[in-house]
Amino acid sequence: MKKLLDRTFRPMALYALVVLVLSIPAYFFLINYIWISELDKHHTAMRNKIEVKMNELDLKESALSVAISTWDQVQPGSTLIPLPANATIKDSFYTSNRYDKFHGELERFRGLSTSLKINGAPYQLIIETNVEEVDETIMFIAGVTSVFILLLLGGFVLLNRQLSKRVWRPFYSTIDKLQQFDLDGDKTIELGHTRIIEFSALNETAQKLTERNTKVYRQQKEFTENASHELQTPLALLTSRIDLLLQDASFTEEQLEKIASLNIPLAKMSRINKNLLLLARIGNHRFSAEETVNMSLLVEECLDLLEGHLAFKQITVKKNIDEQVLLKANNSLAEILVTNLLLNAIRHNSDNGNILITLTGTAFTIANSGEQALNEATLFRRFANVNPGTPSTGLGLAIVKEIADKHQWKVSYRFAGQQHVFEIIF
Amino acid sequence: MKILLIEDEKGLADDMADYLSSQQYHCEFAADYHQATEKINVYSYDCIVLDLMLPGGDGLKLLDLIKHNRKQDGVIIISARHSIDDKIKGLQAGADDYLAKPFHLSELAARVYAVIRRKQFGANNIIDLNEISIDLLAKTVAVNNMPVPLTKKEFELLLLFAGNKNKVISKSALAEHLSGDMADMLDNHDFVYAHIKNLKRKLGESASHLKTVYGTGYKWEQ
Repeated sequence: MKKLLDRTFRPMALYALVVLVLSIPAYFFLINYIWISELDKHHTAMRNKIEVKMNELDLKESALSVAISTWDQVQPGSTLIPLPANATIKDSFYTSNRYDKFHGELERFRGLSTSLKINGAPYQLIIETNVEEVDETIMFIAGVTSVFILLLLGGFVLLNRQLSKRVWRPFYSTIDKLQQFDLDGDKTIELGHTRIIEFSALNETAQKLTERNTKVYRQQKEFTENASHELQTPLALLTSRIDLLLQDASFTEEQLEKIASLNIPLAKMSRINKNLLLLARIGNHRFSAEETVNMSLLVEECLDLLEGHLAFKQITVKKNIDEQVLLKANNSLAEILVTNLLLNAIRHNSDNGNILITLTGTAFTIANSGEQALNEATLFRRFANVNPGTPSTGLGLAIVKEIADKHQWKVSYRFAGQQHVFEIIF
Repeated sequence: MKILLIEDEKGLADDMADYLSSQQYHCEFAADYHQATEKINVYSYDCIVLDLMLPGGDGLKLLDLIKHNRKQDGVIIISARHSIDDKIKGLQAGADDYLAKPFHLSELAARVYAVIRRKQFGANNIIDLNEISIDLLAKTVAVNNMPVPLTKKEFELLLLFAGNKNKVISKSALAEHLSGDMADMLDNHDFVYAHIKNLKRKLGESASHLKTVYGTGYKWEQ
């Protein structure tokens, strides 16, 4: 995964590189052209100057010949060579590379070969000027260009870093808030204002989306609660009708037995409904968790209430309960949590089995004898462990999880030493 | 004994009246808040069965009205709201008992019976059930003046029968009575059977009143 700015930075940097590299020959040709044409103009002017000045000297034949001979000896960048009478040389510009002993190396020269007349006699004039060599020119241009390339790329990198910090700040802030957004939470998301059109559009869209989702989710949760409520009265009516029918002596025994058997699915339905309602109410934050709960007392009370069931299944209970374990929680929910875990440990216990209950200031653990590990992945999911043949609603452990989540407690299950161990970390 | 049933679901109100009438209670109805205020203001009842969700007003306000008028009527709240808050609020506002819908009629009858006993007989509260006498406060039982030690569950069972004489009580109703909110694990009727068996054994000859109704449940015959 790349950052968006890196993604745009690379082709831009590459393009800048190509342009600058292409500029090297372009600069060279341009500089060379200016150079050569300026020298040619200069050489032409020199020629005219030499012709005019030499004629102005009005030298005698002998003096002229001495002067020309001296000129040719010194060769101050130009040579005069006498030509036969009436001979003319066409003007020609040329470039030549040759060894120059005064430079001590191979040099490039631009030259003009032309003819002029001094005192009426024709001479060939060759003017040459040393020009910077091609390779050196190219090297200098390339050097300067490289420096600029480095400046440009370095600047890009720095700017990119700065920009990504500043320009993308609202974007990262939005991402951050969206990541923290909890559909189940009470808080609506507040994405803030930005002057960048794209981010503003993003924020607006995200804001609307989360608001709509929260609303739909809330309605969905309220629907569950309302639906469960609405079911209570018809369930009550069915229960009471069955109770009344059982009093009717005109039914046969068989008929009465069938009527009484309706109580079993009806009771299961009532319990599922009751549990769904409880889950919905916890989800809808109907319970305050601000009470101080004496867990030590609460666990003992729950055990007392279940004494009959424990005795009936001849289950041995071992207790390790610290005194005065006080928690900030909801009393009713804490009671439901403990009861559900205890019921679970009784129901899934073998006859003559045992239960070990441990309560400390930081954890509550219930372990009971069992034969096979349960699937932890689905254990706390609603209806994941429903067995049609049992009275279990498949919601008991889901409620435990929901209550623990509400109090920010951690629930875990493990199977160790032929024991199912459920642990709540406060 | 006069009972006012404040319940807007007519079917349920009729069923409650049908069942309670056969226990020698006289039942009257109020189907909404307005009717209920009229009846409460004019008459006195031994027990008022109050649904919290009523057309025209909140049932909890009726409770305030009853208490405000210093009425001695016992009040049992029946609610579909099933919320622990409601239960606490209702009991704090002065209700004598709280029953969450859905409930068995035998459970309602037992609660009505207990509330009326508590209200009318005060400290000296002994129920006679044939030759058995039940002391509600001391939670002791004697048969022909001979004390019989009962467990808490057996005592509760006996009270349920006392409030539902000559009525068939289904095993499901018994199970729920014994386990209350924790009936979650109990379609296991063996549990009920075990308690009934123990109760019968302890009651000795008096246990002959406690009949098994084949395939259905149990019945206390007077």
